[in-house]
Amino acid sequence: MTADLHTLNQSDFWLRFRHNRNAMIGAALVTTVIAVALSAPWLAPHDYEAVDLFAVWDPPTAAHPFGADGLGRDVLSRVLWGARISLLVAVSVLTITFTLGITLGMIAGYFGGWADALIMRVCDIIFAFPELIFAILIAAVLGPGIGTVIIALSIVWWPGIARLARSLVLSLRSELFVDAAVACGTHPARILVRHFLPNIVAPLIVRASIGVGFIIMAEATLSFLGIGVQEPNPTWGAMIRDGLTSLRTDPHLAFFSSLALAVTIIGFNLLGDGLRDLLDPRIRER
Amino acid sequence: MLAYAIKRVLGLIPVLAIAVVVTFIAAQMVPGDPILALLSDQSGDQELEARLRADYGLDRPILEQFIDYVAGLLQGDFGLSFRFANVPVIEVIGTGLAISPILALSAMALSVPLGTALGTFAALRRNSLADTVIIFVVVAGISVPNFAMATVLVYWFAITLGVLPVAGWGTVQQAVLPIVVLSISPTAYIARLSRTYMLEVLQQDYIRTARAKGLGERLVVLRHGLRNMLVPLLTTLGIIFGVLLTNTVVVEAIFNIPGLGRIAIDAIFARDYPVIMAVVLLFTGFYSMINLIVDLLYGWVDPRIRLGDGRAS
Repeated sequence: MTADLHTLNQSDFWLRFRHNRNAMIGAALVTTVIAVALSAPWLAPHDYEAVDLFAVWDPPTAAHPFGADGLGRDVLSRVLWGARISLLVAVSVLTITFTLGITLGMIAGYFGGWADALIMRVCDIIFAFPELIFAILIAAVLGPGIGTVIIALSIVWWPGIARLARSLVLSLRSELFVDAAVACGTHPARILVRHFLPNIVAPLIVRASIGVGFIIMAEATLSFLGIGVQEPNPTWGAMIRDGLTSLRTDPHLAFFSSLALAVTIIGFNLLGDGLRDLLDPRIRER
Repeated sequence: MLAYAIKRVLGLIPVLAIAVVVTFIAAQMVPGDPILALLSDQSGDQELEARLRADYGLDRPILEQFIDYVAGLLQGDFGLSFRFANVPVIEVIGTGLAISPILALSAMALSVPLGTALGTFAALRRNSLADTVIIFVVVAGISVPNFAMATVLVYWFAITLGVLPVAGWGTVQQAVLPIVVLSISPTAYIARLSRTYMLEVLQQDYIRTARAKGLGERLVVLRHGLRNMLVPLLTTLGIIFGVLLTNTVVVEAIFNIPGLGRIAIDAIFARDYPVIMAVVLLFTGFYSMINLIVDLLYGWVDPRIRLGDGRAS
């Protein structure tokens, strides 16, 4: 029933994907980060909270391969656990923003009228603020913490998804398969879920994969500024901040946490770019 | 063009008005009593408490407070600080007001020509080694957060080589690292966009015509390629400036620069909400202004926009 406008043949997709070097590197990096995040409790040589006063600011040693921080906590363990926090925030924000954004965007695009006007005006209000500044305002109101980070980033991100979903629905609104479904007396909710959603899923996947890198960066930025995820939770952003203040004497803390953050975001961005090249029909021709 | 400009400027008013309302509501939702926090060790002093409450207007109905706040804003008055008793917010912000836009604009001035040049260069040598290297550097530049980049640069240039100061504000040398750090991601972003746009432009018929009539490659690229590529690039400058403004917050934290961003972060920890509101509104104001300027420029360059032709929007 659904027209295959934006989806690719599956085997064709994997063939193209394997030949895209950047996408493959990205996929490898992302897989590694996810594996690390999932197995952090078993991979980490120490408890990420365990304080070893004899190891305070130790450079990399056999016991602490990435050294120790100012409280004598093992940097390697904290870097590994940090992947969990980053991905937890990313997955939560993606889930919230995509549920909210797709639902509201599709409603706005399909029904138009006052629902469209209302939803798009709310989006405009949020767009009026620079993204991170608005997130900082929300963090200031709610107080720092992982929940605040997730809420703040979700509020800032969903309008973009809603706009995308709306424009995608609008572009398909006059397709024959929609008329056919309406003529059959299909309920609007069913039309949106069964007929529109499968046709707009590819660009949304591209958006999600590009978004993950930005969300992880935004979380790290808020944590770096001290208004994000709080101690004792290990986050790369906060570790870089701590590392920056002791850069002269103990560069290892800033170095390893920056590296972990950089590799993760590069991985997601390479994967996102690759998926965009493969799934976005406007770019595919080139 | 004038009618379009007036329409766009007037369109700014509801946006800013809503920003004021949202910010005001956000500040109302904060738990705790700012006056009690101000009193701290003199919290038993009922008379002082009542006087402060009157000074801050917090003894009046919320709607009246809001009207007062808006009336103050129109005169450039952001109210009183919750952290320093009876000190106007504008004094707390003080010189920081100019620093963040200066940082953002300097970084913009650096990254636009550099990014365009890199992107054009990569597009002209598509699939060469130079192109591959530029693409990789661009992905890294977009991906690596500026504070992670800053740690590396500070370590090399300030600590290992000792050629630049680690932090601070006031001298030219102190401004170098912050501006460089700030301009990395926009440079990368602009390079990526201009590469894509240039590749698109170079396939156009008018480029073939220019070549066919015997124009030198340099003129083809500069006069026909670059010019047409700059039009779509222009629209993204507003977004880039917004990101830059936001990133000044981070850079000011890294380099200990007394700009708006650091004032805002200090205010968050001191729960000084009038200052936070002021900074949010100022940033939003700058952001809207730049977007307005970009829109006007775009309308000026591309008549389809200001004439309301759907094709271009």
